[in-house]
Amino acid sequence: MTSTAQDLHPAPVLEPGRTILELRGLEKRYPGTHALKPVNLAFKSGEIHAIVGENGAGKSTLIKLLTGVMPRTSGEVIWEGQPAALATPHEAMALGINAVHQEVVLCRHLTVAANMFLGEENSRFGILQQRAMVKEAQKIIDDLGFDLPAHVTLGDLTIGQQQLIAAARATVRGTKFLIFDEPTAYLTRKEADQLFTLIRRLKGEGVTIIYISHRMEEVFELADRVSVLRDGTLVGTRNIAETNDAELVKMMINRSIEQVYHKEHFTPGAAIIEARNLSGKGFENVSMTVRAGEIVGLYGLIGAGRSEFVTTLYGRHRKSAGQILWEGKDVQVNSEHDAIKLGMALAPESRRDQGLCLNLPVGLNLNLPIYKRISKNLLISSAQEKTQADRQIADLRIKTPTRGALASSLSGGNQQKIVIGKWLAHGAKLFIFDEPTVGVDVGTKAEIYRLFGALLSKGAGIILISSYLPEVYELADTLHVFRRGKLVATHGFRAASHEDILTQALAEKQEKLGGQI
Amino acid sequence: MSTEAIAVEKPKRNYNVLFGLTLLALLVLLWILLSVATTSFASANNIANLLRQGSMIAIMAVGQTFVIITGGIDLSVGAVVGFATVVVAMMINAGFPIWLAILVTLLVGVAIGMFHGFGIVKMGLPPFIITLATLTSLRGIGLLMTNGNSININSDTFTAFSRNSFIGIPNLFWMVILVGIPAYVFLHHSRWGRYLFSVGSNAEASRLSGVNVQRTIYMAYTLSGLCAAFVGVLLAARIGIGNPTQAEGWELQAIASSVIGGTSLFGAVGSVHGPLLGAFILATINNGANLLNVNSFWQRIITGALIIIIVYFDGLRRRGK
Repeated sequence: MTSTAQDLHPAPVLEPGRTILELRGLEKRYPGTHALKPVNLAFKSGEIHAIVGENGAGKSTLIKLLTGVMPRTSGEVIWEGQPAALATPHEAMALGINAVHQEVVLCRHLTVAANMFLGEENSRFGILQQRAMVKEAQKIIDDLGFDLPAHVTLGDLTIGQQQLIAAARATVRGTKFLIFDEPTAYLTRKEADQLFTLIRRLKGEGVTIIYISHRMEEVFELADRVSVLRDGTLVGTRNIAETNDAELVKMMINRSIEQVYHKEHFTPGAAIIEARNLSGKGFENVSMTVRAGEIVGLYGLIGAGRSEFVTTLYGRHRKSAGQILWEGKDVQVNSEHDAIKLGMALAPESRRDQGLCLNLPVGLNLNLPIYKRISKNLLISSAQEKTQADRQIADLRIKTPTRGALASSLSGGNQQKIVIGKWLAHGAKLFIFDEPTVGVDVGTKAEIYRLFGALLSKGAGIILISSYLPEVYELADTLHVFRRGKLVATHGFRAASHEDILTQALAEKQEKLGGQI
Repeated sequence: MSTEAIAVEKPKRNYNVLFGLTLLALLVLLWILLSVATTSFASANNIANLLRQGSMIAIMAVGQTFVIITGGIDLSVGAVVGFATVVVAMMINAGFPIWLAILVTLLVGVAIGMFHGFGIVKMGLPPFIITLATLTSLRGIGLLMTNGNSININSDTFTAFSRNSFIGIPNLFWMVILVGIPAYVFLHHSRWGRYLFSVGSNAEASRLSGVNVQRTIYMAYTLSGLCAAFVGVLLAARIGIGNPTQAEGWELQAIASSVIGGTSLFGAVGSVHGPLLGAFILATINNGANLLNVNSFWQRIITGALIIIIVYFDGLRRRGK
């Protein structure tokens, strides 16, 4: 690194294998819930310690306690042999505890360099040394092998690239204990590899890494040890060499899933929608058909044009050329309203930005697309409003105290169930799911996949967009591969190998993602 | 699940009701204190006067609340009131029947609101800017139309309305009820009311769920303009003149009433009863301060302090949940 980072902060001198942080009976209660039951756990310096568990198992709570975002209810945290209060984020950072969150918490309007040095700006006589900071930031980024420019505005980068910057930022601050919360959720495989390289390097320098992920293969690829949380209880800790996928899943959900990827095959019926040589912003000349009873998977890197293609089908963006046929008839889809009227439903990529009204009740979110149906002359039937919402909550097993609870109070997986669930009562024919299982645990994933089966059995068609290859691979009857706005390959169910599909999505292996900016 | 859901739902309902009751208690407390502290407060005359004072801000605050729930703001309402007094006065003096004059004035309010919607939706202007622009230009247009003079309204039937009462309650207060009940049904029991909340919470999610976001925004500003024009008609009747510089600063009083009534300036939180109570709390403070011979400068300071205190405690309780 590191001459640069070391100049900024002396590298942490840590004996590998020594206990750096110990939790003794750490506990957190919220009004009404016991989010974390007393946990005893010791983290060693220079280890990568994975923490897995379903949504709501207490992982986020644990992070919040360790980073000083929330006070603990009881128990002790021993940092390098001394009790630490961890009452404020500032205290945690001063000790050397940092976190990289799933959603990037940086300033999108500032440059990459400004973000890297946010709070520790380099200034002389009160004047920011902008050029020096850009230079230094660039050196750090280059050194990490990220191949990203330091002078551009952060918001101009993809979410994955922003995530890498967030990780880089955390490493230059004398960090001894670094928490990654689901860092690869929005990363492409290549970006993820860059991140893993960084993580291994930090480990080599004696930094303790907490790695939280739903992706088992990442856990096995990276971690030395893994701890499993379930319902706020630490179920156990294993050395990675002494455990396997099946054991961890069983510990997490306390029941064995025969098959997470629950796939039902139906004989495809008539075509629901057909795109003929469709072009628009971000994609060109795409043709495909979705028939009743089938899942059409769209695989590719983030930015390959998949989301732009479906949002154009959905009327969010205008097509520039080509035709859309709905049940064999040529249609113009000029707005989301048109699309919904035809019978399309879209569960968008970003829950927070596009999917949910977070500060409104669960019930309102669930009923949003169907208010027209449950009201008479503008006035809403409150009885129907209640029964509809309660039925969805029960059918989808959404964990919420009541339909009146705010959507923001639910865990990520349950929020995702709302995003999907609001379309079930609406009765659409074509469902478009854009990254439906990002940040969702195994149990919820299985529930969502089973939901797909239920929709197909009712004669609906599904377009499934995913950056997670096993997901589209195991579920899609037809798999289309996108690269740079073009549909480059089409495969039947499990008809091609993972390697082939990856190669098609990536094309030239040395292609520089950063070069596109 | 569902039985449990019903059991746990009560706290939330209670919270909204509780906040309303707290405001009501504050209002009653103020009335009791002022009745004890002054001899003139509890007189029928003063109460009627208080109700008249509060009514107009209350109606404006309801329209303003619709806009704030969508995450916007309408700074133009004070100017719309002033402009509406001019329109209605000129039409009545020109010999048009009163009902027609009122109708046209209301339509002018609707048109101004539509223009705001157009500026926000089609031109992409921030609500603050477009309504600030109409605030200044409407005053200017009104001054051009009147050459800067006041217009004395020559219809007694029109002006008598604001002085009269119906079964002991001033007509102006009846107007609050006339606006308040449909507004309540609209906001809390109609589809479009729900859409105001959903757009204020997340416009993109609403759009993707099939909500017509543009129409919802048009609607909010149109209703706000309509309420303001209606208040302009009432004000013209009350003071008997049309003058474009009337109702200076009323937009801030309307916003203050709305915020005191629990509306969140971040959008998606608000009610109809809240701003109504907020408006009458403000009116009571002004009225009481006059009776107690408190320097009118103090009234402004008290109002400011009250906004900070109420919004702070409301925020505390929301976060405390």
